[in-house]
Amino acid sequence: MVTPTTPSVKLADSNIIVKAENVNKYFGALHVLKDMDLEVRRNEVVVIIGPSGSGKSTFLRCINHLEKINSGHIYVNGHMIGYHDRNGKLVEDSERNISRQRAEIGMVFQRFNLFPHLTAIENIIEAPMRVRKIPEEQARAEGERLLARVGLADKRDKYPNQISGGQQQRVAIARALAMKPGLMLFDEPTSALDPEMIGEVLDVMKELAHEMTMIVVSHEMGFARAAANRIVFVDEGQIIEQASPEEFFANPRSERTRLFLSQILH
Amino acid sequence: MYHFDWPLFFQYIWPPTAFHDPLIRNGLIATIIISVVAQALGVVLGLFVALGKMSKFPLFRLLAEAYIWYFRGTPLLVQMMLLFFGLGVTHIYDFPDIKLGVLVISGAIQAGTLALGVNEGAYMAEIVRAGIEAIDPGQMEAAKSLGMTYGLAMQRIVLPQAAKVIIPPLGNEFNSMMKTTSLMEVISASELFFGFTQVNARLFKPFELFIAASLYYLALTTIWSFVQARIESGLGERKGAERGPGMMERLFSGATGKGAR
Repeated sequence: MVTPTTPSVKLADSNIIVKAENVNKYFGALHVLKDMDLEVRRNEVVVIIGPSGSGKSTFLRCINHLEKINSGHIYVNGHMIGYHDRNGKLVEDSERNISRQRAEIGMVFQRFNLFPHLTAIENIIEAPMRVRKIPEEQARAEGERLLARVGLADKRDKYPNQISGGQQQRVAIARALAMKPGLMLFDEPTSALDPEMIGEVLDVMKELAHEMTMIVVSHEMGFARAAANRIVFVDEGQIIEQASPEEFFANPRSERTRLFLSQILH
Repeated sequence: MYHFDWPLFFQYIWPPTAFHDPLIRNGLIATIIISVVAQALGVVLGLFVALGKMSKFPLFRLLAEAYIWYFRGTPLLVQMMLLFFGLGVTHIYDFPDIKLGVLVISGAIQAGTLALGVNEGAYMAEIVRAGIEAIDPGQMEAAKSLGMTYGLAMQRIVLPQAAKVIIPPLGNEFNSMMKTTSLMEVISASELFFGFTQVNARLFKPFELFIAASLYYLALTTIWSFVQARIESGLGERKGAERGPGMMERLFSGATGKGAR
């Protein structure tokens, strides 16, 4: 470990957006997350890299409780997510509470997961209208502004199957942003894209990186170098090393990191 | 050699003359209404049973399984008799006539419709469940990640997509339902087939009358298959999906009806 774990400030410090402590998760007998600790501060951009099957996506999905954890704690925006502590035991929270917390966390998926029966603008305004109860007119105005921001103002009334993968992913980013989340999670957002479409999505993400707290699981080293404040290397369910991109690429500390980097950087 | 009574046959297949007989006219109207109501009941029950079967609560799953097990595992005719006479003799519910304005809904019609609907619910449950399971789980995850609850995500995101998968088999179920209403004849519910059996009791011309009856059902299911083809091609156009089977294919493929259960 390069960075020593900071003392437990959790709820008091409002600049800590995500704090994971000793997170363990099993899929049956398989121990996929082993005592994961991570702290992400406001406006930080953290890129998580690691071999496939290392648990990085699973860990990301635990942060908005799409996956359950077996032990440990994850705090988002100062509150434990998914569970409350009852005499030291984790008890799963009510659906309403979990949903309320998820509304503050944007997520972008590898396979976009746009709603195919809704147009681009309808995809974007659905949750603001139904969850936040924002009037349609206001939601539409905001949605159109977001579409313009990701460069897709002219695709407003297209269905997902009528636009390219890169465009779908940009709509998906706009959809997540429409909830005005304090944190954005990106789960391999460019892995399902044709190479010529990766750039347009990364450009949108780089723009966002100036103003948002982001955790990005990705294999895009160019993006990591350009936009990350910190890189976290995960292997076999453990954080092996974390450092600034300059430090990380220049002086990887562990043998496993060096091996991984040599494999992906050719 | 049997002397086929053509004048009687034509009298009973030609609607303007057949409808002089209120048994036929009202029977046809009743059959259509009963089919629609029972199918609607089946869809609503099917939705809840399907959600129950997919619930994370074991009790709901158990109840849903038991429901499907019973109603698919026993004959509809037995269920209908049990409901009508069973609830009657125990005075749990006596099926009194219900007056709705000028309309009087007999106890037999209530019991028969209820039995058809409840039975249909078990079949619809499997159809609805298959429809929901056909939807990529990523859709539910995306909806949840936006702060939607399970119920809201189901209602706004998953079910509208599942409907596209559910509607073709639902159409086939309705085709089946219109024919199955004829079972209600045994509890003397005044639907179309009961009408024909009553006329037959008076005239004793079973060959002519039951061919005529079959032609009425054939007309109903044929008209429905046109409507169904129209609905499904509409679905396909809007969502950019492939077209369903054509009219001729649907009528003659023999894959749609499953007859009385």
